Amino acid sequence: MRKLIFNYVQTHKSEILGEWINRMKQEADERAVQTMSAQMFTKTSSEFIELLVSNFTETEEEFQSKVTGFAEKIVRLGWPLTVITLGLRIFDHIITDGMQEEELVDHHNFMEFSSEFERWMFPLYNTIIDAYAYTWERTVSLQKIALQELSAPLIPVFEKISVMPLVGTIDTERAKLIMENLLDGVVKHRAEVVLIDITGVPVVDTMVAHHIIQAADAVRLVGAKCMIVGIRPEIAQTIVTLGINLDQVLTTSTLKKGIEKALEMTERKIIEVEEEQ
Amino acid sequence: MDSCVKITNEWDIVAARQLGRNVAKDLGFGTVDQARITTAISELARNIYLYAGQGQVCIEKTENAGKVGLIILSEDQGPGIQDLRKAMEDGFSTSGGLGAGLPGVKRLVDEFAIDSTPGEGTLIKAIKWLR
Amino acid sequence: MRIPILKLHDCLLISIQWELDDQTALQFQEDLLRKIHETSARGVVIDLTSIDFIDSFIAKVLGDVISMSKLMGAKVVITGIQPAVAITLIELGIRLEDVLTALDLEKGLEKLRRELED
Repeated sequence: MRKLIFNYVQTHKSEILGEWINRMKQEADERAVQTMSAQMFTKTSSEFIELLVSNFTETEEEFQSKVTGFAEKIVRLGWPLTVITLGLRIFDHIITDGMQEEELVDHHNFMEFSSEFERWMFPLYNTIIDAYAYTWERTVSLQKIALQELSAPLIPVFEKISVMPLVGTIDTERAKLIMENLLDGVVKHRAEVVLIDITGVPVVDTMVAHHIIQAADAVRLVGAKCMIVGIRPEIAQTIVTLGINLDQVLTTSTLKKGIEKALEMTERKIIEVEEEQ
Repeated sequence: MDSCVKITNEWDIVAARQLGRNVAKDLGFGTVDQARITTAISELARNIYLYAGQGQVCIEKTENAGKVGLIILSEDQGPGIQDLRKAMEDGFSTSGGLGAGLPGVKRLVDEFAIDSTPGEGTLIKAIKWLR
Repeated sequence: MRIPILKLHDCLLISIQWELDDQTALQFQEDLLRKIHETSARGVVIDLTSIDFIDSFIAKVLGDVISMSKLMGAKVVITGIQPAVAITLIELGIRLEDVLTALDLEKGLEKLRRELED
């Protein structure tokens, strides 16, 4: 029976592909089909069918590595998992229908066919979905790392003065990372004053303020001073309206003012040099 | 790799946190998390010594959904905590300390559970996950 | 084991090199106060560069010794608190307000000089 299925698939490869693409276009979520050009869709589809067919002919290891490669590709192309499961089901139907039409399968051997086919398809389902899920998880965790890396650099601008620009929403996890970066940077650059620029932070609520105060406290413990700059009018309003007390932290509106103040604190200033005539 | 330290005197506090630091280092925790773990163990071990007189602190490795973590179990048969909610408030202390102990430990770790019965003892479980 | 206390002009220098247990911490408190009394030192620098964690007990002993020194007329600067230590202290809820700090021993001494001149 296995041989029968194998032969059918082998000899009808192109028909299966055509039929599969047709049915996919009708049934699949439009979003998935439209995200790529027709040519790309055909190409990817034929790869998918090729992959399913190769499951008959190749050793398990070869098949495994092919599946992983294909999964990576479709995750990159943005095919949702629903399209993959739908695709497998349609493949299943096409073969069942096709073999019945050619009377290779009739009601006598249908039970045998269906259990054999099932035994073949089930691991395939598992392997493909496993590979898809794994690739997806890996992509997500890589992105998470990328996000963390862009988190918060501490930039030495003058001797004894460093700046940390913050961009984006600050959650507890990120706040912890920021604090670690900040303190390590202070010690590494031997900064005496650090300016935290919150121009790029969209919302300062009680929690964000709490994290900022904690960071300022920790900076003081390692032996430097901390200044919060980039406080926009609406941020000043929310801070006061929420009743957040930032009295113990130095604050100012712009990075420019902050740097001037920091220079003053380290007993320096910027002067204009008159050009010699 | 679970291992325990019996807490009966002040020196055992040092032994407990040294054990914790070593396990944390082996599991690959960074310096900040090592400090968090060591400090949490120190606080818990000191509570045992101060309030219960004796008990034990155990360090275990745990795994959940691919994540690796370190469990700190602190156990004693001491007087228990009369008012749990109060003990978890910042600045509350019955011993003249800083009152940073339990709520502080809770902030240092990722998961914190406490079970205490007055007259029977206290069991605290704290988990720190590897990032 | 006792923590050595060095005298430098009118200042006392302490570098804590190993993990503090409770007894050593309390002994240090006593030794430092006696030394301030004996030498009439006006300033103290305590360097914690080698310390990789501080729990609430040690923090309390440190905070106490700073307040006590102040009562005896000596200013204390703490130097070299490691980032990891600072973070755990803050998370524990120990802020050590009003404590003078500096990045390292050198800057600590400079800071102490300035404080004493004022």
